[in-house]
Amino acid sequence: MSTDRETLTRELLEMVAEEGMIDPSEITPERPLEELDIQSADFVMILMAIEEKYGAYVSVDNELTDVVTVQDLLDLAISKIEAHQAEEA
Amino acid sequence: MVRNASTRVVVTGLGAVSACGLGAEALIEATQSGNSGVKPVTFDALDIQRVKTAGKIGEADLAEILGDKPHRMREPVAEYALAAAREAVAHAGLTEADFGDACGVSIGSGFGGAQTLNKNYLKFGAEGSMRLDPMAVPKIMNNAAASWVSMEFGATGPALCLATACSSASQSIGMGMQMIASGQVERCLVGGSEACLEAGVFRVWELLRVMTADLNRPFSKDRNGMILGEGAGVLVLESLESAQARGANILCEISGFGTNSDAGDLLRPDPERAASCMRMALRQAGLEPDQIGYVNAHGTGTVANDVNEVKALRDVFGEELAGVEISSTKPVHGHALGAAGALELIVAIGALLRQSAPPTLNFTEVDPKIGLEPVPNAAKGMPLEAVMSNSLAFGGINATLIAQAFEADV
Repeated sequence: MSTDRETLTRELLEMVAEEGMIDPSEITPERPLEELDIQSADFVMILMAIEEKYGAYVSVDNELTDVVTVQDLLDLAISKIEAHQAEEA
Repeated sequence: MVRNASTRVVVTGLGAVSACGLGAEALIEATQSGNSGVKPVTFDALDIQRVKTAGKIGEADLAEILGDKPHRMREPVAEYALAAAREAVAHAGLTEADFGDACGVSIGSGFGGAQTLNKNYLKFGAEGSMRLDPMAVPKIMNNAAASWVSMEFGATGPALCLATACSSASQSIGMGMQMIASGQVERCLVGGSEACLEAGVFRVWELLRVMTADLNRPFSKDRNGMILGEGAGVLVLESLESAQARGANILCEISGFGTNSDAGDLLRPDPERAASCMRMALRQAGLEPDQIGYVNAHGTGTVANDVNEVKALRDVFGEELAGVEISSTKPVHGHALGAAGALELIVAIGALLRQSAPPTLNFTEVDPKIGLEPVPNAAKGMPLEAVMSNSLAFGGINATLIAQAFEADV
C-alpha cells in the first residue's frame, strides 16, 4: 500500500527542513530552494533520507537539475517514490 | 651535453587490464566493437545496494592476475598495475639495460589499497579485532603500485604517484612526458591503477548519487549517472631519440599535455577551466583545434559533467563542433577513477591506430541542453591524425592529453 499524497508531502517537507537545516516555518511550496540556501550538497542529503525512508534510489538526473522551488522538489520526489512503489508492488 | 628544449616524446608500449579483459588490445577491441565489460556486482557487506553493476574485471582474468597464491604484500591495485606494466614493457621490447636511472615511473591512483582498507575497517568496526593486517599500511598507501612497478623492472629514476581523483592517470602520464621532455629521464612507465570495487567505497559512491541504477548513457537526454570501473593502464613513453636508438616500434607521439585547476567548487565543474585545459594541451602540441579528429571525452554520464564538458568542447572546437568526433567509452569499461585517464588514452590511441572513432554505447536521444550526437552506438571509420583524451576530476582538477600519428620529420 502506497503512502498517500498528503502524508508524503508532509513527510517530505519535514525532511527538507531537517536535512537542509532550516526552520520548517520558513518553508512554503513556492519558495525557490536557493532562497532557502538549499544547495547541491543538501540535495544529496535529502535524497539519502528519501532512500532511507521509502527505499527509492534517486540519482542526480536531468529532471533534478530543473528543480527550482520547494514544490518542484516535492513533485519530483513524489513521482520517484510512487514509481519505486509501483515497481515494488 | 646540450639541452634539447624540444625533445619529442613517443609511445612504444601499451598495457591494460580492465573489465574488457586482459591486454590493451582487448580494451581497444571492446571499445571499438561496443562490447561492454560492465557486469552485475554484489557486495555481501552491504545490506542495501541500489546500484548493481560495475565495470569489474572478470573472475577468470582476476585469477590470472592474482595467481594461485596472492602476494602477501600486494593489493589488487598493485597487481593490476604490474600486469599492465609487464604487458607494456614486453610490447615496447625493453630489456634490463633500458631501466635503471634512465627510466622513471609515474603511476597514479585515486584510492590506493581500497581492499585492505575496507577489510580492515570492517574487521575493526564489526569485531573490534586488534588482529588486523600488519602489512595494511604498505598495501594501502597510494604509491604502492608505482613502487612495485619500479621494483619489478629496476626502474630507479623518479617514481611518482599522483592522487588527483579522476585525473590521477592523465596527470601522471603528463608528468612522465614532462620528465622525458626536460631530459631528466629517457623513458617512463606511466599510467594509473584503481581497484575500488569494495563494499565501503561502492556505498559512498552510491550516497553521492552520481551512479546510475540503470545503464550508463553519456550525453544522452535520459542519462542519470555513471558506472564505476576498475583496472590499470600503463604506457611506455620514451624520448624519440632513445626509442630510435634502440630501434623501437613507435606507436604514436604524445605531443600535448594540459592541466589546470578550477579553484572554484570541489564538485561542480567549470567549463571555462576545462576549455582552458584543452587549449593548453593544443598549444604544447602546436596543433590547431581542427587538427584533432577525435576526442575521448571524460563523459561520465552524470548530468553535470556532460553539460560542462560539451560546453567546454564548443568553446575550443567551435559552436558546431564541426570536423571532430566526440564519444565516451565509459559504458564499455566503466569509470575507473584513478585509472580512467590511462585506459582512455589507450582507447584514444586505439582510435588513432585503427583510424576509427569508438562509439558511445547506450545512447538513446540527444539532450537539448547538450545538443551532441556522440558517435552513437557504432564505431565510425575516419582518417585520424591526432586525438585528445580528457579527464575532469572532483577537486576541480582538469587534464588533457593529445596523441598524434608519428612522423619522423616535423
